[in-house]
Amino acid sequence: MREKFGVLGLVTGLLIGGAWGDEVDFSHDIVPILREHCADCHLGKKKKGSFSMNTRKDLLAGSENGEVVTPGKGAESYLIETLSTDDADIQMPPKGDRVSPEQIETLKRWIDGGLKWEPGFAFGETNWEPPVQPREVALPKAIAGRDHPIDRLLDRYLADHDSEPTGAVGDVTFIRRLYLDVLGLLPEPEVTTAFLADASADKREKLVDAVLSQDVDYAEHWLTFWNDLLRNDYAGTGFIDGGRKQITDWLYRSLIDNKPYDQFVRELIAPTPDAEGFINGIKWRGNVNASQTREVQFAQNLGQVFLGINMKCASCHDSFIDRWKLKDAYSLAAVFAEEPVEIHRCDKGTGEIAKAAWIFPELGEVNPDAAQPKRLRQLARLMTDPGNGRFTRTLVNRVWHRLMGRGIVHPVDAMHTKPWDEDLLDWLAVDFAEQGYDLRKLIRRIVTSKAYQAPMAPTPDVADAEDYVYRGPIARRMTAEQFIDAVWQITDTAPASPVADVMRMKIVPGQYEDIEVTGKWIWSNREGVPQAGEVATLRKVVKLDKKPAKAFATISADNEYTLFVNGRKLRDDANWMTVESVDLGGAMKAGDNEFLVVARNAGSGPNAAGAFLEARLQFGENDEQRVITDESWQWTAREPDKRGQFGRPVEDWQPVKEAPGPWADRLAPQVRAGLARAEGAGDRMVRASLVKSDLLMRSLGRPNREQVVTVRPEQLSTLQAIDLANGDILAALLKRGAVNLLAQHSGSSSGELIDALFREALCRPATGDEREVLVQLVGETPSEQGVEDLLWSVLMLPEFQLVR
Amino acid sequence: MKTMSLEERIARRAFLKKLGAASTAAMMAGEPRLYGATETSDKHEVVNPAPRADACILIWLAGGMAAPETFDPKRYLPFEKGLEVDKILSTFPAIDTAVDGLKISAGLENIAGVMDRATLIRSHVQPDLGSILHSRHQYHWHTGYVPPVTVAAPHLGAWMAKVLGPRNPVMPPFINIGQRIEGVGEQEELKAFTTAGFFGSEFGPFNLPYPEDAVQAVRPPEGMEPGRFANRYQFYKKLVDQNPHREFLSDYQQESMLRSFDNAHRLLGSKEKDAFDLELEPKEVRERYDTGRFGRGCLLARRLVEAGARFIEVTTEYVPFLHWDTHENGHETAKGMKAEIDRPIAQLILDLEERGMLDRTLVIIASEFSRDMLIEGVPGSTARDQSRAKSETLQEMKHYGLHRHFTGGTSVVMFGGGMKRGFVYGATADERPLVAVENPVSISDLHATIYNAMGISPKLFYEIEKRPFYTTQDGKGQAVMELFA
Repeated sequence: MREKFGVLGLVTGLLIGGAWGDEVDFSHDIVPILREHCADCHLGKKKKGSFSMNTRKDLLAGSENGEVVTPGKGAESYLIETLSTDDADIQMPPKGDRVSPEQIETLKRWIDGGLKWEPGFAFGETNWEPPVQPREVALPKAIAGRDHPIDRLLDRYLADHDSEPTGAVGDVTFIRRLYLDVLGLLPEPEVTTAFLADASADKREKLVDAVLSQDVDYAEHWLTFWNDLLRNDYAGTGFIDGGRKQITDWLYRSLIDNKPYDQFVRELIAPTPDAEGFINGIKWRGNVNASQTREVQFAQNLGQVFLGINMKCASCHDSFIDRWKLKDAYSLAAVFAEEPVEIHRCDKGTGEIAKAAWIFPELGEVNPDAAQPKRLRQLARLMTDPGNGRFTRTLVNRVWHRLMGRGIVHPVDAMHTKPWDEDLLDWLAVDFAEQGYDLRKLIRRIVTSKAYQAPMAPTPDVADAEDYVYRGPIARRMTAEQFIDAVWQITDTAPASPVADVMRMKIVPGQYEDIEVTGKWIWSNREGVPQAGEVATLRKVVKLDKKPAKAFATISADNEYTLFVNGRKLRDDANWMTVESVDLGGAMKAGDNEFLVVARNAGSGPNAAGAFLEARLQFGENDEQRVITDESWQWTAREPDKRGQFGRPVEDWQPVKEAPGPWADRLAPQVRAGLARAEGAGDRMVRASLVKSDLLMRSLGRPNREQVVTVRPEQLSTLQAIDLANGDILAALLKRGAVNLLAQHSGSSSGELIDALFREALCRPATGDEREVLVQLVGETPSEQGVEDLLWSVLMLPEFQLVR
Repeated sequence: MKTMSLEERIARRAFLKKLGAASTAAMMAGEPRLYGATETSDKHEVVNPAPRADACILIWLAGGMAAPETFDPKRYLPFEKGLEVDKILSTFPAIDTAVDGLKISAGLENIAGVMDRATLIRSHVQPDLGSILHSRHQYHWHTGYVPPVTVAAPHLGAWMAKVLGPRNPVMPPFINIGQRIEGVGEQEELKAFTTAGFFGSEFGPFNLPYPEDAVQAVRPPEGMEPGRFANRYQFYKKLVDQNPHREFLSDYQQESMLRSFDNAHRLLGSKEKDAFDLELEPKEVRERYDTGRFGRGCLLARRLVEAGARFIEVTTEYVPFLHWDTHENGHETAKGMKAEIDRPIAQLILDLEERGMLDRTLVIIASEFSRDMLIEGVPGSTARDQSRAKSETLQEMKHYGLHRHFTGGTSVVMFGGGMKRGFVYGATADERPLVAVENPVSISDLHATIYNAMGISPKLFYEIEKRPFYTTQDGKGQAVMELFA
């Protein structure tokens, strides 16, 4: 403040005696009055009633109730009225001494004279306002050969802050950090060994490229990040009555295909049906607060997710914390709205109808008269306009936060906060756009820097973002999904199948055309059109010499079916337009295998009915056998019980016949995709991001995705520690894990087993001291209980639970 | 190079160790920050009142407890075939209580005997949310905010856990008894408010859906002997000490993690864990309480409060269309529910009193709304009629009962915690509509009263996403001071 007045004095000194003449002298006459009477509420960062006099622009912007001063019209200005009136309701200042009549007269003259202000003067620090446009930043010279652009910028930053870079972590730390950050998985011990053995100078870059090309692992890790941001989940409030829709398949495909981020966002804002779940938000039952209608959710979510702008305040009233006004939030809402939207202030209608508009008009406009789909397309273009630097900065900052432990702007949703290094943020944002909005290239850019590869700095102990000084990356706690995935990896206890209905592989267009579909749609050989409610239990017995290594099927029926294989119920479904993929592996055996499809027709009168199954039994490379529905199947009208058993043997098995119907053509693409999916799923571990949240994940911080979530809890709480210490879910995993580990390492000594576990969990062998302690726990010959306790002890280590 | 030396790191760790969990949590920005609780500043003059109670038990009669069938009896007409239903206000006769002139509904004879220790509010009102959905109203009642809310709102118990902390450092400050949040209808909706919201899980509920199994939650995992469990932790601590990265890991996160494990094992190895074990209670006491899961929950609540719990909720469990959620056959169902709550609630009050704890323990009986024979919501509401036993005259027993959700006047009973004794506040009309006609008490004001008793200002707020979030909506709740002795 003092400094600013110094500058001010100098400037006025130059001006005095010039054009100002007899006019009111702003710095000598006005500033003291405003400081004396208005500072508590309207200067500096204070803006009571959304009104600030901190800068001339603020003053002219008025309050939430409208204009406060009218240049040239002192007597009519609301400011003068509030200073002069005796009406306690509107009088200013509300408490303390009144402004003297002389001072009021001076203010009036000042307003009459057009509100002269010192150029650039502000009473206190202005709320830093990030520029809209991207900003090119010239890179400083490299120091000591550290020529990565991020290091060139950070080395200068560190020098400016009386600090130095802190060197690089070893390969073991690097590979574990990189795997967890980019793929959310632990590196397999063989991968670590090979990496450590690699002597080439560029081996870290090679590893980065290899990791980033693991499409499926990458997508299934970042799915969690985007599910949080786009509040997408497999279950939750709103699904109960169709008020909410998943975007899982669209999101999964976008990540696996590395869709450019600008296109990604355009598809979310002006969506096809498979991506519309995001902008449609959640339709709540009953009445909701005006700030929670779907239109306003749209404004809030777009602002927060893509721009780091908090529109939640502004969707009730003009924001007290930044420049966004109620009108801005509603203008954005009106872009989405299909009906006129009345602006509500604090849940009360104002009578004013919102007009669709974009919040950065300098980039262009949305035509409020255009139809909704067109408005959304315009908005999508404006959001991703190359001139929108706030769009790229917000994303770049989020990714930096994930990889480095703290945003360049902090917190990540308050992008109006000054970054700790503006040059770094701006350079990264421009680089991101120049590289085609490629998210993996952005990650590559960051993780190839020396800064990323530096040792973890102590967690900053300042709550206030303004005092933070960057010293290096900060250790992150594993997310619930990272932790669960790591536990599943180590204990080999992942669930058998995902909940997410996605094809876990990269799809190349036309790729499945050559997958041959040979199964036929079959039904009973009764005469005439099948009746509604008619049941046909279809059967085929397949004799196998040995159990297949892998077996899967696609199946569908019009209208519904239940599939039993060898008396095990594997699947049922009642939607005749879908084809399901089923893993048969666990049910198959050497000898006779019985397939039973209990199919049922629906409708109100006779109508077409059919059932279809195509299975692949794989015994080894190029050794495959098919099981398909065809005329060799038999049927009966009798139905088995819930276990697929008939009370007395069926004596009337009859031949089936091929069923005429529209299914074969319509469903063939789904069948091909289903076979490819089952094939591709292979032995790939199911990831936590692909299943519903359970009590353990919930406890560890996987959120209810009703609101947008952008950060996960950093600390392990006591309740979480209790769940980890004695919770059923983890205990059961460890129990099964101990059995699996012992089987996998049968014949190993305790020391060998301990080492193997350490290599997998921590990427390093146990030290002599550690081994000594743990051998006592496990026993010389490892027991199941001993291994269970060993697993627990290692998985609970901070070294394990932190990405560091 | 200006990295920290090993000595500096160790010194720093020692320093951090001295800090409590709360202060380290505050170090991480993005965490909610508290404003104005004790210190006054020019901006926020929020001062917490002196607490009248140290512990709070919320008895939650989920599903909509009908006030005319419980604490606010009205004109009673027995079942009679052909009777016009609009003549019926209550399906139970009224009975006398320990307070002269105060009557409550038959079936609550034991509670009637302790009403001289109670403050009865008969004019609690809820807003009409347009569509009656139990979980939405329960969300509102438990957080003070109508869902949806732009940030995850904390539960009443989480506020107490956050602001007041644990009463006994070993005991989880917020314990939730009797409600499953997996495997029941509307489970996602229940999860949405059974949470500490933006406070983070440290302040979230310790869920004990089955009181008889509560001890499992503080025991070693199934199949693990206590000795082995303790041994495992000893080895773990040794392993941590041997860890080659011990001094080089992020000190703040490592310390907070280790402290949490310590807290957890402290509870699991403490004498307080016995409080979770109902088997340790004498048989005759168990029988006195044991009307079912709810009754056992009341006994558990008493044991946990004795052991130093801060906030406990005990519920008859919300399951759509079960328990108090009577869409048909309301009379018979209410009879059963009253039989389930009457003895244990009265016994809980007597036990607390006998132990000299009632004065400093606030016990609240509440529900998300009341019920009426005819009116859905409030008069004039557009809410859809959800009765499953619609008939203008009584034809069969299933028609007899209060099958509509009513938000115009609900009863709340409060015991102990500095409340008046044998006191009735507010009233509902004697003829339909049975709306509150005297001293209506909103959820905000009721919460302000509860917070006041616990020593928390209704204006207290935490800043989240740079905006204030208050204990009561917009900081506007006002305690009903007439209720305090």
